[in-house]
Amino acid sequence: MIKPFFVLVTILFLLIGMVAGHYLQYDRKTPQEALQGISAVTNFSSPALSVSYYEPRILFYETASNPAYPQMQALNRMDFVYEK
Amino acid sequence: MRNNAFLHFLTLLLFKQKSKHIGAVLISVIIIFLLSAVLFLSSSLQYSLLSALQKQGDFVVTRIQAGKPANTPVAWVDQILGINGVTHVAPRIYGRYFFAPRENAFLVVGIDFFDEQNNQALQRLLKDVDLKRFFSKDSMLVGEGVRKFLEAHYFKNDFTFKTPKGTFKKVNIYQTLPKQANLIDNDMIIMPIELAREIFGLGEGEVTDITFNVPNDAEWDNIITKLHLLFYDVRVIEKREVKKAYENLYNYKGGLFLILYLVTIVTFMLILYQRYSMVYSTERKEIGILRAVGWSIKDILKLKFYENLVIVIISFIIGVVLAYLYVFVLNAPLLSHIFLGGSNLANHVTFVPVVKFGILGSIFLFYAVPFLAAVLIPAWKVAVTPPKEAML
Repeated sequence: MIKPFFVLVTILFLLIGMVAGHYLQYDRKTPQEALQGISAVTNFSSPALSVSYYEPRILFYETASNPAYPQMQALNRMDFVYEK
Repeated sequence: MRNNAFLHFLTLLLFKQKSKHIGAVLISVIIIFLLSAVLFLSSSLQYSLLSALQKQGDFVVTRIQAGKPANTPVAWVDQILGINGVTHVAPRIYGRYFFAPRENAFLVVGIDFFDEQNNQALQRLLKDVDLKRFFSKDSMLVGEGVRKFLEAHYFKNDFTFKTPKGTFKKVNIYQTLPKQANLIDNDMIIMPIELAREIFGLGEGEVTDITFNVPNDAEWDNIITKLHLLFYDVRVIEKREVKKAYENLYNYKGGLFLILYLVTIVTFMLILYQRYSMVYSTERKEIGILRAVGWSIKDILKLKFYENLVIVIISFIIGVVLAYLYVFVLNAPLLSHIFLGGSNLANHVTFVPVVKFGILGSIFLFYAVPFLAAVLIPAWKVAVTPPKEAML
């Protein structure tokens, strides 16, 4: 094994170690408690979609409607991301 | 062939021909970075939403009129309470308040602050909430995004709502909701149910919907049947429906990501093509020379396999690490807009690190197998031809 390759492998291991350290040390409890607290108070767990006023804000509760073709399902911008 | 000599030759070859490999590594890193970033983001969202969903009411009941949600009579609360097995029935008023001057909207949620369950949850959420002071004047709790927006528009301590009757309602900003919950409450305003009723102009006996719990899961279907027998114009949203939807969050059928996958596959095809064309030039000669100095076909295939496996592993590690840092350290600028939108209030969400190793493994296989195949097949084709012919 040549030296530059050894250096490269060491750097990669350091990167993995850094990521593993961050992953293991991360405090998951505080955000989880905060989210559960909001959900318990409001009974909402939908993400705060930053959408326009006329677009559905709460996932799976509200649906967009197409005024021109009521029989046709209107395509919500978020439908691309969140499948029903 | 001794392993150490082989390893030395392999690493030497990799670094001598680094200009040849750098292109493949760069493309691979970009593909893996994009795929992993989307995967990390969706996994984190899924984890957070499913965790929040645990504390949400099991059912939401809304009245339906002409196929659209209508205001629900508050009298239904008592009727629902009468069903055996039902607990924690809570009326709720919510809706979006449009701030016309900036064309932004807030999600206003009105809850019963005197409900025991709500009160306890609120005390847990905000340690120092003093209900006496809160109710001394019309007050509200606002999300981080709302607070920043109002501050930027000179509403530092209070905000004046315009009601449908044309009157104005000044409401004091009591406290900001925890920013760790920005994922849900960024554009949210929580206020007493009576105040929300006034702001949205709902009638005295009306609410938006009613939530309730059924602690015994086995009773859920039975309760739905009972609800449909009690009310004929009702829509029942179950928690398990929402859960299923969150579990399906970003799967291979999602439109945008199907396109992303297609782009990835097409890029792989291009790499494949590039590899095929490259093998008929410099690599052909290289394989011919190795064959001429006595290397067997097996040795050549072994060299090519390990050479490209190293490239695959390096690209994979760099791509995944960059994606991890991008999503969980930088909080996915730009990409988070695809998931959370960017048309309303700015939302600065901190994503909780969640790594699904099974899917990462699938990405590795999905990427590594075509990559190695694209190299080994043409290398084998050259290796089986006579060295003299290959070097031409």
